[in-house]
Amino acid sequence: MLKKYIPKPGRREYVTFILLVLEIIIFGMVTPNFLTVDNLIRVVQNNAEIAIVSIGMTIVMLLGGIDLSVGAVMGVIAIVIGYMLKAGINIFIIVATAIGIGVALGLVNGLLVAKFNIPDMIVTLATMNIWKAVIFGLLGGKWLTGLNPGYAVVTRAKILGMPVLLLLIIAVYALFYYFLMYRRFGRYIYATGCNIQSANLSGINVNRVKMLSYCISGGIVAFAAMLYIARMGSVEMTIGSDLPIACIAAVTLGGTGAKGNGKRGSVIGTLAGVLFIAFLKNGIVILGIPSLLENCFIGLLIVMSVLFDAVTANRKFGKKREVSV
Amino acid sequence: MKKLAFSIAKSRTKFLLLLFAVELVILSLITPYFLSLSNLLQVTQFGATLTLLSLGESLIMLGGRDGIDISIGSAMSLSGVIFGIAVSKGIGLLAAILITLAAGVLLGAINGALVAMAKVPALIATLGTQYIYSSLALYLTGGVPISGFPEAFSFLSLESTFGIPNQILFVVIPITVLVLILVYKMRFGRRVYLMGTNPEAAKFTGIREVRVRMGIFILAGVLAAISAVINNSWLMTARADAGTGMEMQAITVAVLGGIGVAGGVGHLGGVLMGVFIITMMNSGLQIANVNSVWQLAVLGLILIFAIILNLLMNKFVIKMKKAST
Repeated sequence: MLKKYIPKPGRREYVTFILLVLEIIIFGMVTPNFLTVDNLIRVVQNNAEIAIVSIGMTIVMLLGGIDLSVGAVMGVIAIVIGYMLKAGINIFIIVATAIGIGVALGLVNGLLVAKFNIPDMIVTLATMNIWKAVIFGLLGGKWLTGLNPGYAVVTRAKILGMPVLLLLIIAVYALFYYFLMYRRFGRYIYATGCNIQSANLSGINVNRVKMLSYCISGGIVAFAAMLYIARMGSVEMTIGSDLPIACIAAVTLGGTGAKGNGKRGSVIGTLAGVLFIAFLKNGIVILGIPSLLENCFIGLLIVMSVLFDAVTANRKFGKKREVSV
Repeated sequence: MKKLAFSIAKSRTKFLLLLFAVELVILSLITPYFLSLSNLLQVTQFGATLTLLSLGESLIMLGGRDGIDISIGSAMSLSGVIFGIAVSKGIGLLAAILITLAAGVLLGAINGALVAMAKVPALIATLGTQYIYSSLALYLTGGVPISGFPEAFSFLSLESTFGIPNQILFVVIPITVLVLILVYKMRFGRRVYLMGTNPEAAKFTGIREVRVRMGIFILAGVLAAISAVINNSWLMTARADAGTGMEMQAITVAVLGGIGVAGGVGHLGGVLMGVFIITMMNSGLQIANVNSVWQLAVLGLILIFAIILNLLMNKFVIKMKKAST
């Protein structure tokens, strides 16, 4: 009997986890306020959307793609949710609509990428700008305020001293870990990202995998939009404009490389990357480093982690990799 | 008739000329004042920075290996801020311009080192440097635009000679001609094209890929620095967000101009036509008082349609060729 191939997280993910633990220890020693439950809740709250959306981004990037439109999609969904909340519509209908919009907008990306064979980056750059205009059209330059959905308590509650939101995020990550590692479709994603030709030859419908991945990414964004509404209680014009880059940073740090590095990377690594950047931002504020430089540190981190990946990959494959490009 | 359609479909520049004519007719129908020679010449000043940036972006995309640079916008911001600081510290204008150009070389070389030497995917590498450059620009200005340039500086961009804006006549046209000579009359350009179409063949013909690719990125950095100087003298302020979103416009123009995202395909003449079209469209929409968010959305739609059109036209050309043989 053939042994089932199960992709396993590699050494790269452990590196990110070790960095995360080191970071927590260092910040914990330097500043006494760092290792408190209140601070933990604040960190998790501030990064909940990034954590959720990064899952979809990981899937898309495992396929060698990239999704720059997630922030704008989140904005569109959040505004629709906001208007529906104001109209007093049943919460289940709202949730269904939100997920429906997310999947539909993801499908637009997926169709353009898979059917028309346009590079992911160009497609999502374009759709990002189109949805941004839609956000502007829906809001008309005003703020949507005073939203207080019934489920908002989730973002503030604690169970046994742990914030519920963190447990929720970990549960979602566990679900997608199982889905990617142990379900057939997850393995299709890894196979397609690893080598698209051989995946195609072995009978995987590569275009379908791509389209479904963008749909999943969109559906997850709907979930993030609900968290955003619960956390902020309002929607404004610039919603989600930093989101795609923050997610790409977290995913890259977690070891999932762009450009079809399908062998590497998993949502576990992404979780470590998200938490690392979240605690870094928090630590920068606590240490009193000017917050204008915050993005500079994140940029340096991205560059350093891709450099690390590039150097290790070059060493592993030697000259072979250069020729095969 | 069929012959004419074939020649238009085969040459992107001819097609863009047609599009340009259609656009001019539409815009002059909306605002009769639009189609006067003096207005057309004045409108070109809006395209000055975009011309330089998109030339750099196109070269990077032509060079292949999924080349793309999404940091040129923030490289422009950062070098503009450096120029502003140099002038406000009392350094002469010429020396400040030299410092800015040196900054452009450095910023481009950092990207080049990451992409050409370390073989990091260009998208992620420049994403990281975009974070770093824009954050540094913001930090250096503290979020406040630098103003108070000497009056003489306004000569560069706020005055016209023979009815043509100075920055176009004295900077953009000469530099464009230089770049065109460099690419189409010298060895450098042929190397770039060969590297884009077939990196392996390029390697075996003895092209030092690392050196050429470094050259491309440095050239793009210098062009960004020059456009920063022009932009500063045009606005008479140095802003940290001067180049925000410019990379999107540059990529759009390059793709519209027929530059293939995979590298090696396209002509810079098409890119220049693309700049004309986008600039005219922007100013036309501005005259028609349309919000800038919608301009971006239109840009996104044009981007997607341009690529689908590329595919359709390629199919059409292949079909016609088959029919003729």
